[in-house]
Amino acid sequence: MDRIVFGDNQFFGINHMSEEKAQSQAEHFKDNAAIIDVIDAAYSCGIHTFMFSTHERVAGLCNYFRAHPDKYAGLKLCPSIPYAYKYANAVNEKGILGAIDQFVFSGQGASKAIRTIVRSGITMINQDMIEVMKLLVDADMRMFEGLDVQAVFLQNTVTDILLGLRVKEVFIEYASHIHRMYGVDPAFNTMNMPDLVDFLLDCGIENPIVCSSINKAGFAMNPSRQAYEECLADRRFRPMAMSIFASGAIRPREAVEYVCGLPNIRSVVFGASSRGHIEQTKDLICSCWGQMETLEAATRT
Amino acid sequence: MLRGSIVGFGRMGLTHYSILNTHPRVEFVAICDSSAFMLKNLAKYVGAATFTDHEKMFREMKPDFAIVATPTATHAQVVECAIDNGIHAFVEKPFALNTDQGRNVLRLLQGKTIVHQVGYVNRFGDVFMRVKNLVDSGAIGEVLTFKTEMNGPTVLHGSKKTWRSKKQEGGGCLYDFASHCVDLVNYFFGPPDDVVGTVFGRIHSDGVEDTVSTTFVYKSGMRGNLLANWSDPSYRKPSCCFEVLGRTGKIIADLHSFKVFFSYAPNLDGFTQGWNQRSYTVFATPVRFFVRGFEFTRQLDHFIDCVLEGRPCRICSFEDGFKTDTIIERIRTDGERRGF
Repeated sequence: MDRIVFGDNQFFGINHMSEEKAQSQAEHFKDNAAIIDVIDAAYSCGIHTFMFSTHERVAGLCNYFRAHPDKYAGLKLCPSIPYAYKYANAVNEKGILGAIDQFVFSGQGASKAIRTIVRSGITMINQDMIEVMKLLVDADMRMFEGLDVQAVFLQNTVTDILLGLRVKEVFIEYASHIHRMYGVDPAFNTMNMPDLVDFLLDCGIENPIVCSSINKAGFAMNPSRQAYEECLADRRFRPMAMSIFASGAIRPREAVEYVCGLPNIRSVVFGASSRGHIEQTKDLICSCWGQMETLEAATRT
Repeated sequence: MLRGSIVGFGRMGLTHYSILNTHPRVEFVAICDSSAFMLKNLAKYVGAATFTDHEKMFREMKPDFAIVATPTATHAQVVECAIDNGIHAFVEKPFALNTDQGRNVLRLLQGKTIVHQVGYVNRFGDVFMRVKNLVDSGAIGEVLTFKTEMNGPTVLHGSKKTWRSKKQEGGGCLYDFASHCVDLVNYFFGPPDDVVGTVFGRIHSDGVEDTVSTTFVYKSGMRGNLLANWSDPSYRKPSCCFEVLGRTGKIIADLHSFKVFFSYAPNLDGFTQGWNQRSYTVFATPVRFFVRGFEFTRQLDHFIDCVLEGRPCRICSFEDGFKTDTIIERIRTDGERRGF
């Protein structure tokens, strides 16, 4: 995994600081062309790994990447699945099984369709939630076909609900499905990093990739910043830091110095809307981490 | 260890289960739901005993508390059964389908030491808690007007497939969205003395309203407006906001941040004359275990603390839920007078 990963929250109206800011970002990025401009700016700054949710507009971005292979040589993606509100709204309208139906059977190519229907037949007979989960993962992953996927992240709301259920089989099966189907490591976004890391290690998922908010303000670090710092120091896992600026609550240099000063952080995910901000943030991280190792794929495992 | 149970394992039931299943003093012993798919998987993976009949579950498992997250029309019936069995109850919002049902529940509670709470989660939100303190402190002076809105993309197509599209089961924008606004109004200012000018509107639904607008009037002269729309595709997720104008200041708040304007220099929390902005990324306090929002954990931990300490819930009791239901019913009556 590269040490700097570019995130997509800003493109889709997600901003923890304020709903007003989120709204103005949603207006700014209403066309994919505006998003592509920012991606290109990040690319030209040497950032080649992007974390994407499976927001319906990401499918259009993926089409664009596939149509321009030369421009995006070396592009690496970290999908974060599923896009939770897509499901939440469908569940409200159609119920849980109706929503599953909608996502598993919509918009797929013929060969995939046959594969999915065969597995669906088995699933509907078994009515097994883990089998249903695999179908939904595959449905969400369709948009990334043919692109270089580095790791498949389980989105934080889903991770944390499942973590609360304390069902080990779900995590073990998710991990082995991602390995088997996509040949990459499973990864997890969470708002409860210390708890999740211990649970994953208990499940026998070794050296897991775990992405969580890590920032000097302690924002969204549950149960406490101290618990995060202890976990980072003591546990064997591959931590990725997101929300390092707590959506603007911390000054950039102070924010980056804190995160880069923590032990074992493997990667930082950040989002920005302009070339200036991207360059500034990248340069700050590079200067804190040391120019030599930054942007090289971390080969230690 | 408290022995917990859940009635209704949909989206909210699942959320509540996940939050409390990680509580060090709680052990879930039983789950009741009507979906064969859910029950089969719960039995297989979660390990709690499963039931399709809440009465049987309460009788046989004797849990200490029940989380009731069924469609609104059945809240009262399940809660009455819990009270009969001496079981503490947390019920999702709205409290009941109508005030007759709610009144019966309150009557049944009399003389009993049962802990009870309604799931109006915004009362536990970082921003709304701060804003309430600010209003109560008198910093913006006597409140003159307010407006509260909730908008979201919950219903964007005609559908009759779930209980949310059926009025008799507690569906509709009034119960689902506007109830949050009504509850915040009650929490901040107490129930209005009059409800006027209600208009319901349809966008996609057949059997229920998709939009609600209404006006609250107080004898003191304070007045407020409510707007709710669950069929607005411009929103990414449901969003609730609140604006309060006082004689000496104004507050505009949503779930993540608030702005406050002072017409004087207040000697308070670093605020200055003119506009001040505060985001919850600065003041939100972490929770024991996070699912979907800090406020969801806070409201359930409040309930569990009250059960453990044997004290009544201060923040959102059944009485509070009933007061909100009373205003919801007045809105319903006022709106239907116009032929909806």
